[in-house]
Amino acid sequence: MNQPYSTADKQDTRQAQRFSSTSIAVLAIYSLVVLMIFGSRLVSPSLGGLSQLMTVLYLSSFLVICAFGQGLVIMVRGLDLSVASMITLGGVLSTTFMQGTNEGLYFIIPGILLISALVGMISGFGITRLSIPPFIMTMAMGLIVYSVCLGFTEGTPRGFPAPILNAFMQSKVFGVALPILLMLILIVIFTTLQSYSAFGRKLNAVGNNPDAANIAGITVKRMTISAYAISAACSALAGVLLAAYANGATLRMGDDYLLPSIAAVVVGGSSILGGRGNFLGTVGGALLLTTLSSMLSALGVGQGWKTVLEGGVILVALLMLREQVFASLQSMFKRSS
Amino acid sequence: MTIKRIADSGLMIMVIYILIFAMYGAVQPSALSAYSIQGLFNNSLPLMLAAAGATFVILQGGFDLSVAGTISLVNAIVAVLQFDGALGAIGMLAIALAAGILVGAINGFVVAYLKVQAIAATLATMIICQGVALLILRAPGGYVSDFMTYELTGSMFGIPVAIIIATLVALLWFVFRRTNAGRNLLAVGQDAKAAELSGINVARTQFFSFIWAGALYALAAYFLAALTSTGSPSAGEPFLLLTFAAVALGGTAFGGGRGSVTASLLGAATLVLMQKLLFSVGVSSFYTGMIQGMIMVLAVLFSGAVQFVVDRRNII
Amino acid sequence: MPERINITNLSKRYGATVALSGVDMGILPGEVHAILGENGAGKSTLVKILSGVVSSSAGTISLDEKCIRPSSIIEARRCGIATAFQELSLIPNMTVAENILLPRASSGRFWPESKASIFERAREVLIEWEVNDISSQSIVADLTLAQRQRIELVRALSHARCLLILDEPTAALPDTSWLFRQLHHLTSRGVSVLYISHRLNEVREICQRATVLRNGASMGTVDLAGVDDEDIFTMMVGHGSSKKKRVSQESSTNGEVLLETYQLRSKMLKGINLQLHAGEILGVAGLEGQGQQELFRLFGGLHKPTSGEIRVGDKVTSLSSPRKALQVKPGIAFVPEERKTEGIFASLSAAANISIPHFAMTGWAKLVNGRIERHLAAEAADQVGLAPRYLGFEVGHLSGGNQQKVLLARALMTGAKILVLFDPTRGVDVGTKQSIYSMMRHFVDQGGAIIFYSSELSELVQLSSRCLVVYDGLITDDVAANEISEERLLASAHGPGNARKDSLQEAV
Repeated sequence: MNQPYSTADKQDTRQAQRFSSTSIAVLAIYSLVVLMIFGSRLVSPSLGGLSQLMTVLYLSSFLVICAFGQGLVIMVRGLDLSVASMITLGGVLSTTFMQGTNEGLYFIIPGILLISALVGMISGFGITRLSIPPFIMTMAMGLIVYSVCLGFTEGTPRGFPAPILNAFMQSKVFGVALPILLMLILIVIFTTLQSYSAFGRKLNAVGNNPDAANIAGITVKRMTISAYAISAACSALAGVLLAAYANGATLRMGDDYLLPSIAAVVVGGSSILGGRGNFLGTVGGALLLTTLSSMLSALGVGQGWKTVLEGGVILVALLMLREQVFASLQSMFKRSS
Repeated sequence: MTIKRIADSGLMIMVIYILIFAMYGAVQPSALSAYSIQGLFNNSLPLMLAAAGATFVILQGGFDLSVAGTISLVNAIVAVLQFDGALGAIGMLAIALAAGILVGAINGFVVAYLKVQAIAATLATMIICQGVALLILRAPGGYVSDFMTYELTGSMFGIPVAIIIATLVALLWFVFRRTNAGRNLLAVGQDAKAAELSGINVARTQFFSFIWAGALYALAAYFLAALTSTGSPSAGEPFLLLTFAAVALGGTAFGGGRGSVTASLLGAATLVLMQKLLFSVGVSSFYTGMIQGMIMVLAVLFSGAVQFVVDRRNII
Repeated sequence: MPERINITNLSKRYGATVALSGVDMGILPGEVHAILGENGAGKSTLVKILSGVVSSSAGTISLDEKCIRPSSIIEARRCGIATAFQELSLIPNMTVAENILLPRASSGRFWPESKASIFERAREVLIEWEVNDISSQSIVADLTLAQRQRIELVRALSHARCLLILDEPTAALPDTSWLFRQLHHLTSRGVSVLYISHRLNEVREICQRATVLRNGASMGTVDLAGVDDEDIFTMMVGHGSSKKKRVSQESSTNGEVLLETYQLRSKMLKGINLQLHAGEILGVAGLEGQGQQELFRLFGGLHKPTSGEIRVGDKVTSLSSPRKALQVKPGIAFVPEERKTEGIFASLSAAANISIPHFAMTGWAKLVNGRIERHLAAEAADQVGLAPRYLGFEVGHLSGGNQQKVLLARALMTGAKILVLFDPTRGVDVGTKQSIYSMMRHFVDQGGAIIFYSSELSELVQLSSRCLVVYDGLITDDVAANEISEERLLASAHGPGNARKDSLQEAV
């Protein structure tokens, strides 16, 4: 069918943007991380370089996993405040049931993931069917789960992770730690799931415009619930790995991951309002925050200044990521071309 | 009085509060003594003030995560300044308020004028404030004058000071709601676009909501210092989740435009009362969290149900 | 007489998009001056700049020989400019009084004004502008659309000292007499009025001169007494009115029945019986709020009937969700009227927007990237006349017309044989309209069926194989292609008796 194009279209000389605003943000973040790691060599020979890169990659793997789930939930216009408790749940369940042996490993881990997914589904149910605001629902679930862990362990988690897991956390292949390889594999899987799969497209649509998604035939409630289920499972997985790393679980082990999981997503370019997100950006955000943290520790900076700088970095990232900044950046590119 | 008015005015949460108080009194008769009531309100006031502050921001449709950070920061400041006596207490109050208002101004500027999303921006300022609090006060400690510790947590003319302060805040809201600033705040929360086209300066309204919030958080931190007779750089941490639970319990909608500060005051008081009730009933502290969580969910469901009924009856 | 308000070379750009590219016009004191133009010509941008909602990129506005540049509603009011907006700007859960007096509802100096006093002051305003049936204490959300429109107008009327701007003021009003009386009060005091409306006969009744906008620029100012509709149309569109030829359709109402309803009832519908045949474009006409929106949303699976039967294909079904509507053979695809709130995924590409049904109905694991989406979307895009280079653009950056094309292409992608379109050419430029009409004809030629609602009678006349008229929740007329005319539709839309009256008169 040859349709005549309208005069307005003919006059429109814009080109499709080569690099979307999100890709620019992602690029900027990674450059910053590389700069920080290799540039800090100049400040002091004991800092930076390949060894610090390895440390950062290792340490950030836990945050990266949590941030994926959080990113999916934020994508559908929600927020998951149960991350800390789910990490604790994963840690407590794994040490309690593994009891320091390798027996039953193959159904304990899937079992933990299943249980946590169920918890996430309950959150999702409350949010989609009972119209409870995500902030409250996930906060409540987090409190309940924490409370259950508290009661279950009577205040002190006992048990140890399976020796295979301990070994896994400590082994290297070609000089690269296994958890880092795991993280890289997960990054590929997660990125594909979020940006290159039908699931990801549908989730993106739901976050972008839930009413339109419904009209387009997407089961909005089911998609939203699955985002919360995945987030819960991711946090629990991170908990299992953390317990293996620390050779035990504690009740507050997840506390240091809740706010950073949100920060990583936001710094990575996802809109906190949903509908717009890129996991590679989130990974960059997680790397940036972990790098900053480890570098400041290495420099002997006190907890106070560390926290201030971390908050400052998030604020700066937010200011740079606003739409207006991008629009002016893009027009800058246009003028120069 | 239409059902809608009743729902909006916080009468609902008042009834719930009285009911729970009755239960508490039945289970623990000693709770009804003047001394116990004074203690109860002393413990409730910080959360009440924090919830009141957060309500200003939520009513215009925004969000303020920085409650935890601001309280930690101001609490640390108060503990580090070593002023004595009544004059000293007033001086510290002024400094505390100034600090809270400063944080609120930064939040307001970033959200209203730089147009950064409220949740993300206040998350960042919260973290920065926590950091500054650590810089000011490395560990729990510091100094709080005897004057503050005894006078603020005591009673005046037989009425606990805490109740007087809470009542003043409720009165403040009563008047504010009827001023143009108050009306415009609610209008922005209901429909920011329509508010703008009606001539309301939306950015300025949002900005000042954060200032009110900051001032009330500072007040909460100030009283908290008097209550605990010490300061702590992580004083604000428990407030993060509890503040919003209190606001939800009071019936204020998170989308904005509906609710009241008085209702949040009562919601916070109810939360604290429930904790006391559970404790005196003998519920193991292990499971308090679980029950709190479930109560939060039930509260939101209940207020949502009421709103549903109200909305239906209005469509005639 | 010198013009009181002068606008010179007014322009507005949003990044790369040009909304206004040079408007020149003048308004005399006490004049009612019309602004005419197609959708997208720049009328609403002009209104926004004069009202203080946005600032211009270039050009000047002068009032009483002084240059003004209102940067907010309040500042515009200080200059004496007040506006009644097309999308009403009232706060739903507040009283009429508060809305009228916003943003300074309470006039007390040191203490808030009492409620009674506020109600009284607002009542005085209402009385001044001859609104006697609305209490200043009513909550805006409880009023009808027409009542809310009047409140919006009263607010603007009370603040207009120099210029009153009205954007589609009569859209919800049952008749114009009240409004025109108030306008006469204003103009006799020397206040000017800027009147934006699509309804030419109203414009001719109340306005003296008109400025025509096209593609963001002013084409000239004319004296309404001296031009006829054809001339105006030419100025608005740039060429003579294309003889709205009706593409002759061999009676296309013989195809199999794809969609049928029997005594369909719901909140606003009182018993709808209709049949949609393959190969036909079934038009639906009606005044606002007669139940047509509910009917269409019922077909789209967004609303449930209280009683009655719907048959799709030849099976009785309940359309419990849009997904169900798409899955039921031969498939119903619904395109709603509000593309921004219910249609587009603004930050996804056009190709992604178009191809989403492909992924909605299939599993979750299918891999997809930009190239695959563009490939999938290519054919549908071609059928609606969407230029291929737009497939990679973020939909939020496309014009309204192109966005509508994206939504229609998406409907095509679903493979549904029944299209339910609610006002598909709303806010769309002339060229896009033609593309959409072509797509619709092509679709039914291939055996599909379309039921569509339009507020533009000429469009219904041009496209429908058959046209139903809805009034008060019932179908009051079923007009065949050879009887269809704008007069007939208009008459029937005002009530069941009128159509017969009309044909009776013709017979005599």
